Amino acid sequence: MNNEFSSTQEYVASEELMASVNIAIALKKPLLIKGEPGTGKTMLAEAVAKALSKKLIIWNIKSTTKAQDGLYVYDTIQRLYDGQFGEEGVDDIARYIKLGKLGEAFDSDEQVVLLIDEIDKADLEFPNDLLWELDQMEFYINETKRTVKAKHRPIVIITSNAEKELPDAFLRRCIFHYIEFPSRELMEEIVKVHHPNVEQNLLQNAMDVFYAIRGIRDIRKKPSTSELIDWVNALQIGGISADRIKEALPFIGVVVKKDEDLELAKHETY
Amino acid sequence: MFIKFFETLREKGLNVTLGEWLDLQKALEMGLIESSLTQFYYVARMILVKSETDYDKFDMAFEECFKATQRETEVGAEMLRWLDKSDMLELAHEEARDHLNKMEEAQIDKEDVEQKFKDRLKDQDSEHNGGSFWIGTMGKTSFGNMGGNVGGVRVGGATGYQSAFSVVGARRFRDFRDDRVLDNRQFQLAFRKLRQFSSKLDIPETELDINSTVDKTCNNGGCLQIVMQKPRKNAVKLLLLMDSGGTMIPFSALLNDLFQAVHKSNHYKDVKTYYFHNCIYSHVYKTPECDYGDWVETEWMFRNLDSDYKVIIVGDAAMAPEELWSKDGNYRGPNDGLTGYEWLSLIKKKYKKVVWLNPKMAPGHAPWREAETAIKEMFPMFKLTVDGLNRAMTKLMTNK
Repeated sequence: MNNEFSSTQEYVASEELMASVNIAIALKKPLLIKGEPGTGKTMLAEAVAKALSKKLIIWNIKSTTKAQDGLYVYDTIQRLYDGQFGEEGVDDIARYIKLGKLGEAFDSDEQVVLLIDEIDKADLEFPNDLLWELDQMEFYINETKRTVKAKHRPIVIITSNAEKELPDAFLRRCIFHYIEFPSRELMEEIVKVHHPNVEQNLLQNAMDVFYAIRGIRDIRKKPSTSELIDWVNALQIGGISADRIKEALPFIGVVVKKDEDLELAKHETY
Repeated sequence: MFIKFFETLREKGLNVTLGEWLDLQKALEMGLIESSLTQFYYVARMILVKSETDYDKFDMAFEECFKATQRETEVGAEMLRWLDKSDMLELAHEEARDHLNKMEEAQIDKEDVEQKFKDRLKDQDSEHNGGSFWIGTMGKTSFGNMGGNVGGVRVGGATGYQSAFSVVGARRFRDFRDDRVLDNRQFQLAFRKLRQFSSKLDIPETELDINSTVDKTCNNGGCLQIVMQKPRKNAVKLLLLMDSGGTMIPFSALLNDLFQAVHKSNHYKDVKTYYFHNCIYSHVYKTPECDYGDWVETEWMFRNLDSDYKVIIVGDAAMAPEELWSKDGNYRGPNDGLTGYEWLSLIKKKYKKVVWLNPKMAPGHAPWREAETAIKEMFPMFKLTVDGLNRAMTKLMTNK
């Protein structure tokens, strides 16, 4: 089977990015992906899983997520209920241990791709709490005295929006890649992957406006790749002719989301 | 050569650890680099550098160490095109496997191969496929693409990397350097450092700890057992004192950003902002215009804002020496018989944590900037950049 990752039909990856993925797989280290919002960090994991035909397990991190949640949860409440109603098997704690996403990835019978999405959203200490587990690919369940060890080392992809700095000890163990904002050529390729039949003129004009807006100095929120893709879609569905894009800025709300930015965009692109 | 690279990286301020360095060696051993300098550049970067703010430093170290090797190993785009035969890959695999078996035991002299490669790179002027002398595809020389030879030099590949030096030369990551003057979002991120979640602070346990309560109750066989905990709140109080004097006008956009960032960071217990003109005297102003009368007494500020406030003073510290040491104050208002220097000393005495942010601080020691030097001795002073702000925030949070 092909064990190298390359661009797929749905996902256009730069050569650097492809190299990072392959190195991370070869060195058996987690791959840490950083980049502006909307540069396709999350989609990368999907593309990798698809290209290598492996199962994808997504662990979405929220501000309240704790490292323990990813390993296992001991459902004490369920056990209490069962105990009160005299259900069968209350003695067996293992019945109330629910593996988290990381646990699931370790316990899987085949190698999986594990995506830890937006790790920077969690508490500052969160990454440090996972060091041992990601290094050794195993953890210990206190309640049942069982060690869960990865049968096949999962391919771990971690994304971060750089909202918080990650601890050094954690960074040392990762392969790092920063997704740059796509250049015009790459962008054209990306849009065409999503909208293969887009009219060249329309795309060029839309990209002119898009990069002009990104270039405005005081812009509050820079529009991202996914917003351009949505906009091109809107323009196509709305049947807007290419030459009207620059003067009327139709459906510009898809790209620009803030009132102040809208004013600026209208003002600057004239 | 590689040890030198390691040392240069550390010299440039990159904190490369031995563990990461060994990882890179492992990658080299595993043959992941494929004898290409460009590939080496990317692989070394992804293993050794963990933040885009450090890419520029890496680029400079890389350039310093490997610039000399560039000419010899650069492979022309033309040659890469000759070698790009990915459609014939399957066929080549078959052939290669046969050949590999024969070659398995053969000894390969790396230096010899490299030398021949360079010679032929010079001489070759056309496309060659399947031969056994020139650089080409599916051949049996030690170099080229999809060839059957083991341990040779692989040229390019299906991908054909961009030259490392065109990447290095462009210095695309200069903008990410953390010593550049910063923008609003980066301000906000830096201010997030000022957090002191207070479950460790000295306050009563007033919140119900649901998780522990449930656990304890369950362990207790269903009999309710309540566990209380301290609330987790940010205990940081901030006092921002900003210079809005004439010499600060070029930095007004920057200060505006800083101000916005502080007020957007709504996680503080309290934020107070006052303005001053060049130096702090007996009054601080409520607005940046520093209008006469629109002020509070500095003494009032001392009385009402206790010593736990963390103080950030922003200013260029570029007053004339007499503004700092004369008892007459500046033209905007009285100074109650104390010099500016004495007022600053009072601030230092009153507040436990004070830092000074200076947008145009002199690098290193600058005795000719009299006022700046004097203030530097009194307060820890940082340049107003991402790096400086981060260090200032750390200073405010630590006890050193």
